[in-house]
Amino acid sequence: MLPFRENPVEWGWLVYLEMFIAGVAAGAYATAALLEANGRGNSPVARTGHLLAFPLVVLAGILLTVDLHRPERFWHMVIASEVFTPILKLWSPMSFGSWLLLLFGFWTFVSFLDALIARRRLTLWGWRADRTLHGTPLGLVWSLIGAVIAFFLGSYSGVLLNVTNFPGWGHSIMIGAMFVATALVTGMAAVLLIEALRRQTDWGDVAGIVRATVVLVAWQLLLVLAFVVTLGRAGLPVFFTGGSLVAILLAIAFGIVVPLILGAPIANPRVHSGRVALFAALILVGGFLLRAAVVMGPQHG
Amino acid sequence: MPEPMGFYTDTTVCIGCKACEVACKEWNQLPAINGGQNTLSGDSYDNTRRLDGINWRHVKFIEQFAPQGPSPAGSAPQGRWLMMSDVCKHCVQAGCLEVCPTGAIIRTEFDTVVIQADVCNGCRDCIAACPFDVIDINPVTNTAQKCTLCYDRMQANLVPACAKACPTASIQFGTIADLRSRADQRVAQLRGQGVPAYIYGDERMLGGLNSFYLLIDRPGVYGLPANPQLPSRNNLPSWLLSIGTAVIAGLLGLVAFRKGRMDAVTPAARGGEGV
Repeated sequence: MLPFRENPVEWGWLVYLEMFIAGVAAGAYATAALLEANGRGNSPVARTGHLLAFPLVVLAGILLTVDLHRPERFWHMVIASEVFTPILKLWSPMSFGSWLLLLFGFWTFVSFLDALIARRRLTLWGWRADRTLHGTPLGLVWSLIGAVIAFFLGSYSGVLLNVTNFPGWGHSIMIGAMFVATALVTGMAAVLLIEALRRQTDWGDVAGIVRATVVLVAWQLLLVLAFVVTLGRAGLPVFFTGGSLVAILLAIAFGIVVPLILGAPIANPRVHSGRVALFAALILVGGFLLRAAVVMGPQHG
Repeated sequence: MPEPMGFYTDTTVCIGCKACEVACKEWNQLPAINGGQNTLSGDSYDNTRRLDGINWRHVKFIEQFAPQGPSPAGSAPQGRWLMMSDVCKHCVQAGCLEVCPTGAIIRTEFDTVVIQADVCNGCRDCIAACPFDVIDINPVTNTAQKCTLCYDRMQANLVPACAKACPTASIQFGTIADLRSRADQRVAQLRGQGVPAYIYGDERMLGGLNSFYLLIDRPGVYGLPANPQLPSRNNLPSWLLSIGTAVIAGLLGLVAFRKGRMDAVTPAARGGEGV
């Protein structure tokens, strides 16, 4: 691998944001699926996950499109121009990721409509508040399949960075794994933040999600350490300079360590909703900084 | 079906005239750097600087002189120039072609690798994937671009513009089989004279580079990777680790959620149930 690159790949703020937002969308949907797997598919917390995932994945798609140098050709990602047949290259993370975004967009759209109907904001023929998809066996199947798609969506951008010849990105194969954890914790944090601010929720479910988030933030810390260790002598200097180093340190301090200290003792989130909100907000900021640092480092290191 | 075609560049006879750069720019109608208002790089005679979206040929000037200054009067100069006309390697196993999501990058009937400007949407994944740092965005078309090995000229049985313009036959064009035979003979000749010549880009390197080089120093001296690899080497391991992490995270999340909820679900802790 060349020790440094001269031709810029120019994956900047739009890409940092897209990767972060797609991760939050995936994590929010996975959170709802986790609740549904516990028979809580119709809980207000799960519904917040459903309501978050679809708009966020649409936003991620828009950001990806705007970032293209020829945005009017965004459809070339999934349809071969000239012949107008679908194009999918499973071995290309960007091709696979484009299809994941599309598929996840459809999946979350159905759950989004279901949540609107459940909250009586929408009526659609026979699809009524007392006959929703989620909270039924079919809803459980829908959620679990959606969670699998969400996990792939959460990790594909990390795998995409691994499948390059940029120093740093090509050195550690842990980026995709780290991004899975980041997606899940930021998705949970986004749901928690909304529930803590909204206050009309099921606090038992919120307590469960707080506990799960604390455990997964600790798991994320282990993955970050594994990422650093596997970078090796060639890859390490790429991330540990300038803005990337600052972002990684801030992400670990305020996005992982402080939330662990804040979140671990929260037994009654109803009483400590302000603390839950701060816990969630810090995780979101940390998740963004971590993803930004990983994308930024090899381009500026 | 035509035979695989390519370039063999003998760097020992390159004189750094840059005729190849000029011919490439002219034939492919590539714009000047910064509208012609180029600043000097300060790096030897090289103001092109690198291969990119508007420079598909780049003559590298490598000065290997002792830092202490001129040689004593009457003695031979202590040092040498290395010159090399660099270009896309048209790899038999091409990383750019692997990752391109749109199908814009194709392998032609001549076994060369071409980016179709009317298909590329400028996602830049190929820039990150290329082990040789060859591809870049052309600011005029806003698409990724690189040497096409003059695909249009080859279709008309013409020699690529750079090879046609090269006055010393440093850049040779032909069938890969013929070029490799010529290169082997030249390596044997140079080694017979005590020059440590070797071929960079034989079949062991990414299945063979269809644009390969005769070098007389380490690849790193010419700015080439010693062991270029396909980006896809990381694909399966990275996915497997991600899936493993997802499974562990899912199980951890499930157990922790149940524990947290059980601890909290008391009449005092529970709020409303409505959606």
